[in-house]
Amino acid sequence: MSRFLNPIADWGVNVAIAMTALRTNLMRSILTTLGVMIGVFSVILAVAVGNGAQVSVTQQIATLGSNMAIVVPEPDNGDGPPRPAERGRLTERDAKAVERQVPGVNAVAPQIRNGVQVATAGRSVSTLAIGATPAYGIVSNITASEGRFLTDSDVSSAARVAVIGETVANRIFPEGIAVGQTMRINRVPFVVIGILEGKGSNLGNDNDDQIIVPISTLRQRLSTAAAQGPDDIQLMFVGFDDEEALTAGQKEIKSLLRARYRVAKGSVNPFTVRTTTEIAEATGTVTQIFQAVLVAIASISLLVGGIGIMNIMLVSVTERTREIGLRMALGAKRRDIRNQFLVEAAVLCIIGGAMGLTLALLAAFAFQSIADFPAPIGWDTALMSVAFSAVIGLVFGGYPAIRASRLSPIEALRSE
Amino acid sequence: MTQPLLKTHELVKDYVIGGETVHAVNNVSLSIARGEFVAIMGASGSGKSTFMNMIGCLDVPTSGTLLLDGTDTKLLSSDELADIRNQKIGFVFQQFNLLARTSALDNVAVPLIYAGLGYAERRARAKAKLEALGLGERLENTPAKLSGGQQQRVAIARALVTDPLMLLADEPTGALDTQTSLDIMSIFQGLNDDGITMVVVTHEPDIAEYAARRIVFRDGIVIEDEAVKSRRRAAVQ
Repeated sequence: MSRFLNPIADWGVNVAIAMTALRTNLMRSILTTLGVMIGVFSVILAVAVGNGAQVSVTQQIATLGSNMAIVVPEPDNGDGPPRPAERGRLTERDAKAVERQVPGVNAVAPQIRNGVQVATAGRSVSTLAIGATPAYGIVSNITASEGRFLTDSDVSSAARVAVIGETVANRIFPEGIAVGQTMRINRVPFVVIGILEGKGSNLGNDNDDQIIVPISTLRQRLSTAAAQGPDDIQLMFVGFDDEEALTAGQKEIKSLLRARYRVAKGSVNPFTVRTTTEIAEATGTVTQIFQAVLVAIASISLLVGGIGIMNIMLVSVTERTREIGLRMALGAKRRDIRNQFLVEAAVLCIIGGAMGLTLALLAAFAFQSIADFPAPIGWDTALMSVAFSAVIGLVFGGYPAIRASRLSPIEALRSE
Repeated sequence: MTQPLLKTHELVKDYVIGGETVHAVNNVSLSIARGEFVAIMGASGSGKSTFMNMIGCLDVPTSGTLLLDGTDTKLLSSDELADIRNQKIGFVFQQFNLLARTSALDNVAVPLIYAGLGYAERRARAKAKLEALGLGERLENTPAKLSGGQQQRVAIARALVTDPLMLLADEPTGALDTQTSLDIMSIFQGLNDDGITMVVVTHEPDIAEYAARRIVFRDGIVIEDEAVKSRRRAAVQ
């Protein structure tokens, strides 16, 4: 029959009927829509926040540098807790040995880190001082945006010079000109030789709130309780030419250090070697779990919204039993009645879904601009959410709609 | 016109109420020819409405056969019954049963939705029927803005919009005053003159006198089935 040729007109009629019905009970419709809106809003936002966390972690790892191994003097217990009693050692000589003997290494950057107080006349901030060598710039891709980075002669002469992060620069040199100025680090005067190129912040961690000084200067001038011997370092970054070299290099570093420290066969390494690849994988898994948990929690509110839809549709069917009977008397088939109520539920859900999406976009924007936390909502998320809310409508509107379509015409017509 | 429009054979409708079976319609066999004007009478509970609901394909018989335009309705699916209600039967109810907050035009167009017609065609046909019933000025009025007589005329337009063979009216004048009732009966007589088979269920003897044939129910059976002797003609408007 011609109705099969005219499905769009059919749906159009159902949408018109739905709009009339929804307007008739405007307050009720709005409240029901609100339930779906909140559900869709929270699911989208959960997805967005999860995506944002992943982006942040990826950025964070990128700021470390790529194709890099990190060696720390902590016993390698696998995933178990560190045991401080077995604290190992790592020295600058180890770093030199790694640089010379491990193939594929392009730079080794030993480090000592220490919390310090940085002051100019009248201003003072606490920040992290990193005692490093010029190699740090190579492995971690750090450059100075103004002035210069550390040089070998800075390190060999234990010069009192510092390259400072933007955050520190802005706080203690609010006038703007920092390079060439003198500041005091733990009361020792240092000359600012450069400003670090900004790396931004992720997950609340400001990558620009730090200063870099020569490793030798830090050791001599700024007391470091962490370093035990005159040669001790807290960690070293080992940069490799490529990923292949990194994979092979991780093993090489381990066996080299085992030999240097004469670790007996079967004993736990007194040091730990992690690669950026491993770190990325581990944190990637964590953020995925984080996202899954967020979405699962948010889904509960969507479920509640769906139940609200079902509830209201059941009420609507009961209230309009007589109308259903009339429509059947006038020639409506079961599927006509079913579709009418399905469309009504879907319209509620799609309106709610669109509102939820709008709200989520606003919230994501607010997150990004106020909290500096990326919460990207892509087209896929947007489309998914609208499709999702339509599905909610069909699933939770389905039962009431089928119930309506199964009514006997005469009993429906007789109901008051 | 050899084949009757409607023929029942030993039609039965039982209801089970509180464990007891009540024969609402008990072995009714009769036929209605095309072009007849039949009044079905009886007290409340006599089975006249149940009978009407069955011949209107709104309710299914417990046993017996019902031939409508030569088709045994027992063999039809619910979708096919819906098509019969849509194409062959027009219903007029005591309480008009118009959709609230919906214009006269849209109310009349409802059956055409289920007939599968497009928007423009639906509106054109509905408009023509409303104009034929003198409601050309009231197309966009909602039921709340129409008098009882006007509402019933909208309902008649709706019943006629698919050009059915038969109009079934259940107490069509029950909610109307005397003069308006006469107007409605005059419309029915005019439609009947044009060839539509009319079946009117009523408990008012005066209304039944506008019909040509009177069938009286009592306790589920037909106790009287005869031609109306002094048939009234409503004044032609």
